[in-house]
Amino acid sequence: MCLRWSTCSSHPNGWGTSVRLRLRFSKIGKVRFVGHRDVARIIERALRRCGVPVTYSEGFSPRVRLSFGLALPTCYESDAEYLDIPLDPKSIVDGDVVCTGWGEGNTYSTEQLRMTLNEALPKGFEVMALVLEPKGGPSLQESVVSCTWRFDMRGAETDSVEKAIAAALESSTIEAERKKKNETLRENIRDGVHDLRIDGTSELGPMVVAELAAKPRVIRPSELVEILAPGAELGVAKRTHQWIEREGERCEPLTPTNSRTVKDLT
Amino acid sequence: MTSLWPRLEPLLPRVEKPARYIGCEDGARTNIYKPEATSWLLTYPDTYEIGLPNQGLQILYEILNERPDAFAERSYAPWTDLEAEMRRARLPLFSVDTHRPAAEFDIIAFNLSAELVYTNVVNCIDLAGLRVRASERADSDSLIGAGGHCAYNPEPLADFIDFFVMGDGEEVISEITDVVGEWRQTGKPSGSRDTVLHAMARIPGVYVPSMYNVVYDGPKLVSVEPRHSDIPPTIQKRTIADLADWPYPRNQLVPLTEVVHDRLNVEVFRGCTRGCRFCQAGMITRPVRERPASQIREMVSKGLERTGYDEVSLSSLSTADFSGIEKVVADTIDEPGTCGRVSVALPSLRVDAFTVGVAAQVSRARRTGLTFAPEAGSWRMRQIINKLITEDDLYGAVRSAYSQGWHRMKLYFLTGLPSEMDDDTLGIADLAQNCVEIGAEYTKKASVTVSLGGFVPKPHTPFQWFGQNEPEELQRKVDLVRNKVRRNKRIQLKWHAPDATTAEGITSRGDRRIGRVIEHVWRRGGVFQEWSEHFDLSLWQEAMNASGLSLDWYVHRHREEDEVLPWDHIHAGLHKDFLWQDWQDALAGYGLEDCRWTPCYDCGACTEYGIEHVVASPAPPNGGSQGTGQDLATGHLVPVELRPRASIGGT
Repeated sequence: MCLRWSTCSSHPNGWGTSVRLRLRFSKIGKVRFVGHRDVARIIERALRRCGVPVTYSEGFSPRVRLSFGLALPTCYESDAEYLDIPLDPKSIVDGDVVCTGWGEGNTYSTEQLRMTLNEALPKGFEVMALVLEPKGGPSLQESVVSCTWRFDMRGAETDSVEKAIAAALESSTIEAERKKKNETLRENIRDGVHDLRIDGTSELGPMVVAELAAKPRVIRPSELVEILAPGAELGVAKRTHQWIEREGERCEPLTPTNSRTVKDLT
Repeated sequence: MTSLWPRLEPLLPRVEKPARYIGCEDGARTNIYKPEATSWLLTYPDTYEIGLPNQGLQILYEILNERPDAFAERSYAPWTDLEAEMRRARLPLFSVDTHRPAAEFDIIAFNLSAELVYTNVVNCIDLAGLRVRASERADSDSLIGAGGHCAYNPEPLADFIDFFVMGDGEEVISEITDVVGEWRQTGKPSGSRDTVLHAMARIPGVYVPSMYNVVYDGPKLVSVEPRHSDIPPTIQKRTIADLADWPYPRNQLVPLTEVVHDRLNVEVFRGCTRGCRFCQAGMITRPVRERPASQIREMVSKGLERTGYDEVSLSSLSTADFSGIEKVVADTIDEPGTCGRVSVALPSLRVDAFTVGVAAQVSRARRTGLTFAPEAGSWRMRQIINKLITEDDLYGAVRSAYSQGWHRMKLYFLTGLPSEMDDDTLGIADLAQNCVEIGAEYTKKASVTVSLGGFVPKPHTPFQWFGQNEPEELQRKVDLVRNKVRRNKRIQLKWHAPDATTAEGITSRGDRRIGRVIEHVWRRGGVFQEWSEHFDLSLWQEAMNASGLSLDWYVHRHREEDEVLPWDHIHAGLHKDFLWQDWQDALAGYGLEDCRWTPCYDCGACTEYGIEHVVASPAPPNGGSQGTGQDLATGHLVPVELRPRASIGGT
């Protein structure tokens, strides 16, 4: 008989060993220049400060288990970053999270935990939604099919971008160039452009909204800028949504539960 | 207040690691700007990753920001890609806290931790939009200051720096702030720069090079004399008497991007009296001042809780010497808030004080890297450098580590030491081989990394009179070791480029004339000379030739006893005749004991300033030879001759 299984199944939450936190968080302002690996480190420190009962990898140098959605390129902002954190199932009591370590003595509802984590995170990062759920299903990274982006084009003319967009959408090909080692690949990314439109202007130039495929490869806003307005530069780009498919429907892994409490982002 | 952020932001997507330039660290101060306050820009003249963890800079940052009438921000040398973008966009050097232009600060102060950053110092002054030479700057321009270990020979940078600070900065920084604050209130009118510098030159521990005349006789230095009668002829270093009064940093900065030493750092003691003759840090930071164990415990606990780090470094010049180190490590790992998941780094370890007990404590959590520094390959050589550890001490420490589960460790050696023979150099390979053999008794994966540095004689040490080895000779010695360990797959050899060692030698013991050389190298684009991708010895050779100076005379020449050294007017407490005697003892193979556990031999560091060691334990930690070179564990005598006490010491 499997001892581990028998002990776990007796847990009152009924989820056995499989319980995790799923977070949706934003990354806005100066911290957009922080790279993906560094974001993981920042979140790890915040989890430790709050005493969230995380789990660790095996081995010589155990690390906190974290699994992110699609990596966000450095310099991009986001309102839709996702993170799964497997928890120690023994620490879940009546749907609340019992903290350890520096958080010893604290028991939080998910909403309280969300606010506590926000206190511990640097300015610019904010947990917008947080749920406790059974582990399982495909990983975030595998299940995301597309992302919606909002970005401005520094130095581009609204009129000419508008024309370029219309032409691109009418055509069956949108040719992108990709540098791979020493060769330059040209490929048609038309099928990966689900939505593309101008949505106002910023002080830098026209604002564009685009929904771009994450499969078979991730298409980035910077590629579109080169196609739509050669010579212009990507201004500030923000990922506003990551989309998955659930029972044939396109939806977000988590939607923001509350209206965002926007921290001071100077 | 002007923020350069809107102009900097568009440049950042074009450069490597842009997070280095955003600030936003936990612990950073962004709401401290006070238009009436005296402002400091504390600048580390190397990359953010190297500079951010610097404890000296962080301590001063906090002390200044606690004052209502002052504030401090930080700056780091931008990497060459951003520098090019900044120059193209005419964007000056900025603070990372609020992105204000450097030239808006009253004082720009540099931390000097290594000589090869000197060209970066000049570059930063230029990037700030100021004239690089102090004599050409306008009255109201920022004052340029410098401190840190390299400031103990300030002369090579004397042309560029308005004032230097000698020794511990905790107290003197406030005295400087007062003087500069008064100057600020006068509105910095024409002619006032000389007045404020004159006033600063009267603060103990502050050296204002423009207030001193240098007299040469041909290549020989004759004297460095004050220009005014109310300015001291020698500048005395500053020393804080008790580390317990300064529990800083209270809020260590937590960077958002990975830096070197990315962990909590708690300084457990300052100063070292082991008396290793090559070691400048050990000479200029005397006496030993231990932090009380209870304060360490509190700083560790509060620091880990505030930062969320899972690693803490207990730092000092030789951490295993701390009284009761085992208990401090055990307390740290047993801190309940960490759930047993905190690793302890002991960055600087004497092999004779690293015992199984300490190894066992450290290894209870994640094992951190271990570095031992035998420094020399033979007992003869270690007597000369006064690193009195026996081979058995080393093997004992290595055995402690392997037996407690470590697979690899790093051994640090110097080559090019005074009177070093090939047998001494080859001894490095023997030690390394014996170490991995001990390791093989415990694990199949046993290995050692041997790190070999070329020796650069440093000011204020007994070896300051020694002529540095030529780069060809250093390379030959490296090759000796390399050929001997080449077949041993368990030994990895790393060495410092002999060319860089030579350039370091120019600035280490240079005089004021070396300023021209530094400026020449900088003008030819020689920045980031600490980085192999940018270092170029030919630039330095060309600069020496252009300035009519001899590399051989500055670097490879043995100095005479009666020679005036360029830093003789800077006083680290140590009597010059003590240093000379210690140099003679070195050549004779005499050892010198650690005075924290034995009676004083009056080097001057305590007696000159009326201070004493602050050490919790009157006896050395257990095990090994404890600097006497004698096996204290078994009572067996190792033949090291200690110099008879009566004839040692000062006047």
